[in-house]
Amino acid sequence: MKRIALAMALAFGTQLAPAQQTVKMASLVELSGPGTTSGTNFRNGIDLAVKEINAAGGILGRKIVMETNDTQSNPAVAKALTVKAIDNDVYVVMGPVFSGSIIVSMAETRRAEVPNFTGGEAAAITLQGNPYVFRTSFSQATGMPKIANYIASGLKAKSVVVMFVNNDFGKGGRDQIIKEFGTRNIKVVADISTDPAQVDFSSPVLRAKQANADALFAYLNEEESARLLRELRKQGYDKPIVGETTIMGQKVIELAGDAANGVKGHVGLTIDAPIAAIRAFSAKYEREFKSKTDHNGIKGYTGMYVVKAVTEKIGKFDRKAFAAVMKNACFSAKQYPGVLMDLCFDDKGDIDRESFLVEVKNGQQVVVETLPPLTKR
Amino acid sequence: MALVALALAPLGLKNYGIYLLTLWCVYVMAGMGLNLTVGYAGQMSIGHAAFLGIGAYTAAILMKLGVPFGFVLPVAALNCFLVGLALGFPALRVQHHYLAFATLGFNVLVFLFIRNEEWLTGGTFGIAGIQRPKLFSFSLDSSLSFYYFVLVSTILLAFVLWWIVRSPWGRAFAALRDNPIRAESLGVNIMAYTLLAFAIGAAFAGIAGCYFTALVQFIEPGPFHVTTSLMMLLMVIVGGSGKFFGPMLGAAIVILLPEWLRFMKDWYLVVFGLSVVCLMVWLPGGLLSLQDRFFRKA
Repeated sequence: MKRIALAMALAFGTQLAPAQQTVKMASLVELSGPGTTSGTNFRNGIDLAVKEINAAGGILGRKIVMETNDTQSNPAVAKALTVKAIDNDVYVVMGPVFSGSIIVSMAETRRAEVPNFTGGEAAAITLQGNPYVFRTSFSQATGMPKIANYIASGLKAKSVVVMFVNNDFGKGGRDQIIKEFGTRNIKVVADISTDPAQVDFSSPVLRAKQANADALFAYLNEEESARLLRELRKQGYDKPIVGETTIMGQKVIELAGDAANGVKGHVGLTIDAPIAAIRAFSAKYEREFKSKTDHNGIKGYTGMYVVKAVTEKIGKFDRKAFAAVMKNACFSAKQYPGVLMDLCFDDKGDIDRESFLVEVKNGQQVVVETLPPLTKR
Repeated sequence: MALVALALAPLGLKNYGIYLLTLWCVYVMAGMGLNLTVGYAGQMSIGHAAFLGIGAYTAAILMKLGVPFGFVLPVAALNCFLVGLALGFPALRVQHHYLAFATLGFNVLVFLFIRNEEWLTGGTFGIAGIQRPKLFSFSLDSSLSFYYFVLVSTILLAFVLWWIVRSPWGRAFAALRDNPIRAESLGVNIMAYTLLAFAIGAAFAGIAGCYFTALVQFIEPGPFHVTTSLMMLLMVIVGGSGKFFGPMLGAAIVILLPEWLRFMKDWYLVVFGLSVVCLMVWLPGGLLSLQDRFFRKA
């Protein structure tokens, strides 16, 4: 009888041991459809962080088991996959990156009280009072005032053309920047809408040229930004081209080639930042995935390290405690090297840290100025 | 047997599986309507997602205003029926691929309307925070109760379709699909019956749109793009166009197969696409023509 009991104990013990030594997480990202570039970089950043964390012993001694699923850049699929992740009792959900998807899926993580990190930038994400959603990048409400300041003071522009992609991301950014221009007496002389996955930019560029403004502010997704830049150069557009994050992205520079040179703007994260930890991350990423990352890779990577830092801070895998600790939490890169830069979260889940004014020169992002965080702590 | 299987299916599933089954039911409703238009009446339509969208937005706007679901449903169906008539009247003067392009153009127009008219539809930001309906005082918030609600609605709608296709209307639809000249010579008013088939198909999609809104609880223009119309057409053709159970099987292939193939990681969409290509080459009449093929060989 004792032998049977011992055998059963051993059998159950060996079955339970792996589960006790691991923690399940889910990354729900855009691996097909219009969000493929963003989602793939975000996923790679997460995978790199998970590999490092697991190699160093995991979180509180438990290895991360990350299940990655493709949302197809479709909010309804993102919602279904979030339900699946919750069914699997995951500790944290990473993603989606697209704002339209996270706005749908975060209702599920909120209901299940599962912390959810997103790469989405739409201001609406953190305006709904969801205590379980956290950004890995600036909200448009944070980034747009910085770029509007630059256009007003740096370029001394009095009139601009605004060109945006007509999805939740682009429209949200367009609404925000127009508001900022209004407070700085900058006149929007043309407000040009473009379509997601648009291929031909000859007509929008012609309209931008005819508007004859002091500068062009472009806010499109990565692939569309590259096509726009090529068309701008083709039609000989000679006014300053300014953007927020995406248009200076690494993938855009690769796709647009020489046409990206001269583009200026604000980026929350860049692999060319004059920060040793970010340069080291960039080199590791390139070795691992044989390609350069854009800001989305950094977002996924630092997001995972925030998960590690918070969990170690609370000393247990407790989702509610996790969400509570995230309120107004700060993480220094000195204490938590994986976060790469000192960063803070506010009580809504918005992130704050240093950011950069950059210019593309010879196919590289060159940091012109480092801007301080909005709030000093 | 199938009904018992559908009733018992969620018992072994977690919320994710139940969500997919509910989504399948929604697309079955829309697919049945498209099957009536394409399969039974022989009209080509690649704008059915527009009716799904009209139904979904009608439901979202009314439900946000606190209108009960029981009232929203007929309003959305009627709305789509009337829009179907209004579109069909000029569009159905042309046939086949010309009609396909006319419906495609209509889908683009509807998509642009819901994307740009932010005051009404929320534009690209969509409409969020839609509550699930209640059945009298019984809450349908849980995934299981909502699934049974949608399943029963799908079955009821299937009975309506079954009645239509066996009614003199249904026989008239089939007659004008198979030989419009002969049908007209027998006194079938081609224009009226074609319009009717088109508008009833649109109303089915409108009803599906209501359930889509209640399921996802958030709508934005994306799910009502032309690609969804093509996906719905694929459901009808893969299952078996003009066959009663065609859309049910087709929706299972289009909605459930890619999810089942997810274990193939990065290859799952490639394998799905190849499967559909092979299926269409081997069985151009859809999955339900498998039986005919074997009987013919025998």
